[in-house]
Amino acid sequence: MGLFLLAVTGITAVLFLLLPGRNLLHGLSLAASAGLLGGAGGLTREVLRQGQVTYPALGGFFYLDGLSAIILDIVLLLGFLVSVYSVGYLEAEFRHGQVDERRLGIYYFLMYAFMFTMMLALTVKNMGMMWIAIEATTLASAFLVGFYNDKLSVEAAWKYVIICSVGIAVALLGIIFLHLSSLSVLNPPQLLDWTALYDQAEALQSPILRLAFIFILVGFGTKAGLAPMHTWLPGAHSQAPSPISALLSGVLLNSALYGIIRTVAIVNKNLGSSAFTGRLLIAIGLLSMATAAIFILTQKEYKRLLAYSSIEHMGIIALAVGIFTPASIFGALLHMINHSLTKSMLFLSCGTVLQKYGVKEIARIRGVLSLLPVSGPVFLLGLFAIAGTPPFSVFSSELSIIGAVFAADRLLLGAVFILLLALVFMGMALSMFRMFYGGPRGKLVRGENNLPGTVVLMLLLAAIAVTGLYLPPDLQQLLLQAQQIIIGGQAHAG
Amino acid sequence: MANYLDALSVLILVSSFVLVANKRISSYIATFRLQSLLIALTAGMMGLQSLRLEGRVDVLVVGLLIVSLKVIYIPNLLNRTFAQVEYRVEKDFFLNIPLLVLICCGLVVFSYFSISTIAGINAGTINMQVVNSVSVVLIGLLFMISRKKAIGQMVGFLVIENGLFVTALFSTHGMPFIVDMGIFIDMITAVLIMGILVFRINEKFESINLHELKNLRG
Amino acid sequence: MNPSSYILIQILTILAVAPLVNGIIRKSKALTQKRQGPPLLQMYWDLYKLLQKSAVVSETASWIFTATPYIVLATAVAAAVLVPVSTLIIPAGFPGDVIMLVYILALGRFFMMLAGLDTGSTFGGMGSSREAMISALIEPSILVSMLTVGLIAQSTAVGEMMAAMKLVTAPLLHPVYLLLFLALVIVLLAETSRIPVDDPATHLELTMVHEAMVLEYSGRQLALMELGAAVKQLVLITLLVNLFLPHDQLLTMTGSGAVLLSVLLYLLKVVLAAVGIAVIETSTVKLRLFSVPNLAALAFILSFLGFLQYFVLGR
Repeated sequence: MGLFLLAVTGITAVLFLLLPGRNLLHGLSLAASAGLLGGAGGLTREVLRQGQVTYPALGGFFYLDGLSAIILDIVLLLGFLVSVYSVGYLEAEFRHGQVDERRLGIYYFLMYAFMFTMMLALTVKNMGMMWIAIEATTLASAFLVGFYNDKLSVEAAWKYVIICSVGIAVALLGIIFLHLSSLSVLNPPQLLDWTALYDQAEALQSPILRLAFIFILVGFGTKAGLAPMHTWLPGAHSQAPSPISALLSGVLLNSALYGIIRTVAIVNKNLGSSAFTGRLLIAIGLLSMATAAIFILTQKEYKRLLAYSSIEHMGIIALAVGIFTPASIFGALLHMINHSLTKSMLFLSCGTVLQKYGVKEIARIRGVLSLLPVSGPVFLLGLFAIAGTPPFSVFSSELSIIGAVFAADRLLLGAVFILLLALVFMGMALSMFRMFYGGPRGKLVRGENNLPGTVVLMLLLAAIAVTGLYLPPDLQQLLLQAQQIIIGGQAHAG
Repeated sequence: MANYLDALSVLILVSSFVLVANKRISSYIATFRLQSLLIALTAGMMGLQSLRLEGRVDVLVVGLLIVSLKVIYIPNLLNRTFAQVEYRVEKDFFLNIPLLVLICCGLVVFSYFSISTIAGINAGTINMQVVNSVSVVLIGLLFMISRKKAIGQMVGFLVIENGLFVTALFSTHGMPFIVDMGIFIDMITAVLIMGILVFRINEKFESINLHELKNLRG
Repeated sequence: MNPSSYILIQILTILAVAPLVNGIIRKSKALTQKRQGPPLLQMYWDLYKLLQKSAVVSETASWIFTATPYIVLATAVAAAVLVPVSTLIIPAGFPGDVIMLVYILALGRFFMMLAGLDTGSTFGGMGSSREAMISALIEPSILVSMLTVGLIAQSTAVGEMMAAMKLVTAPLLHPVYLLLFLALVIVLLAETSRIPVDDPATHLELTMVHEAMVLEYSGRQLALMELGAAVKQLVLITLLVNLFLPHDQLLTMTGSGAVLLSVLLYLLKVVLAAVGIAVIETSTVKLRLFSVPNLAALAFILSFLGFLQYFVLGR
């Protein structure tokens, strides 16, 4: 089943280049993403039952456990929602003459190739293969970032490719050192296998492993948008087409963090304590949050502002992983899910706003609430949600993280954390909220242009509202499984 | 045998210094070609050794792959991409070249002191080979950030990949085969994509001076 | 071997062979450029012709101008004594120190720079200032390289260095010696005023360095300057080839036959080195003056890296 998912994505990606006709393309995309979502559901059920999904016949190539199942589910769920949204979005773009049919095919091809690489990164056991897949995500999304092919897009795409490729190269150095630290312990078939590395973690050579961790943190951290390697992120996420921004923010950053989390698990098991990794992760997390807080205050474009908000939330997750108690890990994973859903909802509504108004600057937009009867309020509520307002899900995950921080006796850290969250909220409020009120200028017409998209937005809003109050038991069990994988201690469930 | 590998690792390091000390674009590409050739030679020698001792062909195959890709295909690709650009010699730098060369020397010293403090890589010859290789990576990074033209960044990226490959080669006798293959595919694709982007940059900005790319700041 | 016969053999060999090296270089360059080129012994004839002519000296020149050719030749010959052509002829305990070697050559260069300024012509002053810059940049490289070899040989005497290098198998495959060799090649090109640092065949104002300093000389003074430069070139070549391509360990016999064979092998190496220099000269271009620091930095880094590698590897 798992391989089937990968195969389907790969084949449909290629098909997009061959099929003519917009309706065929849209239809194929919807069918494929729905099928993938169904497949993800099936795999997750199996993971819940058995603890992991792997096919020994392939020599352990395919591997899915609790942690990767969560992230894979986010990928495919958002993939489905984004492809539904894309239908309406691209149709509107087509009507305005921004894209033609060939570009449409290329868009879908690149999007599904991108999804393929992300799925690959999440379903392999071999750290080397994971590295390859994560590098491939950069390459697959490069032309998506530069999709509109104007000056700013090309600049954003160039910075994205260069900075992320260099970052990933640094991560490769880390993987080489990881390999080196395990040479005396593992046999060739098991080299760079995450499960083998984790099982034998204490036997690995600590000093080399420490060096490996630093490089992997810097390398994958570049891809995850952690400061100070974040400089590509605002440009890339603001210049890409909005559905793609949703995928980039909601899904790609998670996949990069996934690599870091896997390594953290090994290193902490080897060193016996989380002091070394914790210090680094907390420092980077705080730096990311602070950078985001500062830059949000001065942003003039709304998509860039949301991109900085992504940096902030990645910093929060890094910080929570750094604390490394069961509660904080649970909070980190939950936050991943919540941030992805909320941020993609925000980017999708940005897309609607952009299509309606045609401008990217905050100052030139007024009266969103009156012009967009559904997307407008969704956007506004989304901004509240991402800043951490109850009853939305981001609030509950941030609360659990704060609780974990205080429970771990890091009072000063908790205080700084709350302060930075408040700063970000203030920044966003000051910048964005005036977009919504007042009357529209010019001759813009009231009404929604992107019907499927609007439905998607409402679905997402419902999701983040509900999960803020109630966590489905299946999801909870999955999160607990993932937590055990990372922290170890108890045996695997099932 | 170890002597040959020592000398080769030193020559690879020297080629990265020559790269930094250069100003002409054709020299960047030629030096990169030379460096890749030296690396292919190293891989070939280690491959022959592993073939004799363990019967593994993968290192040898990888060496051959390097020859075809990095020595022949990629430099030609770079030459073609930059044939249309008018710049032949870079004229202004943030830091002048002698200073850059001295900083590179500092990087070698730095990587020596960092790596030698790690227990476990203390077997004499591996120590210096790994230090040289890691220095190549750091020098590639320095090269990337010290050049203002897009070609500098592309060649710098390729040098970083070269350095990583030699590090893997010297410290662990190569990564698992499939990982090596994947890395090559990634690298080729990256170079192709960068080439296309440079072409677009040249179109839109009328130059490949990266200082023009300053609109997305802050 | 007693010191006096050693000194005699050294001076005779090097003085005799020095102009030949220039001839080989020029001939090789010509052949690679598909020209006939001057005959191999041309410089001997040039020196002979010049020695018979009288010198024309500017009225504004001082004693420095007239003294310099003798000083240049003297320092070059003194340097020649310090660098043995074969390790078999070195007298025991001969104090040929490498630092003294470098600074004897520097003394000659210093007077040459002064002489360039002495006549008050613009070309001379220009050549002197350029030479000052280049030599200042090159000097660290040669010192670091030589001192590293000295560290390895546990002595700064050139003869003992050569004896120690005899014991190393295939020095050029060894990372330390390889780096030092590359650094010293660049130093050689700079000190002997060859392309890419300076063009020995040009008299264009933009490109002269060494030629500018000797521009005012004529007659026998010019002959002495040219011979001094050729001797200095051969001394540096000897240093390079005898340290990094030692040949004496290949000889199994002893006695005067061995010495003769050793000197012959040495001459063979010199010829190879001369051809090598010619190849380098033909295949590169002369650097613009403000790019010379880049080359000098490269030479310094190579020698420093050689030192670092020795420091790490311990051998």
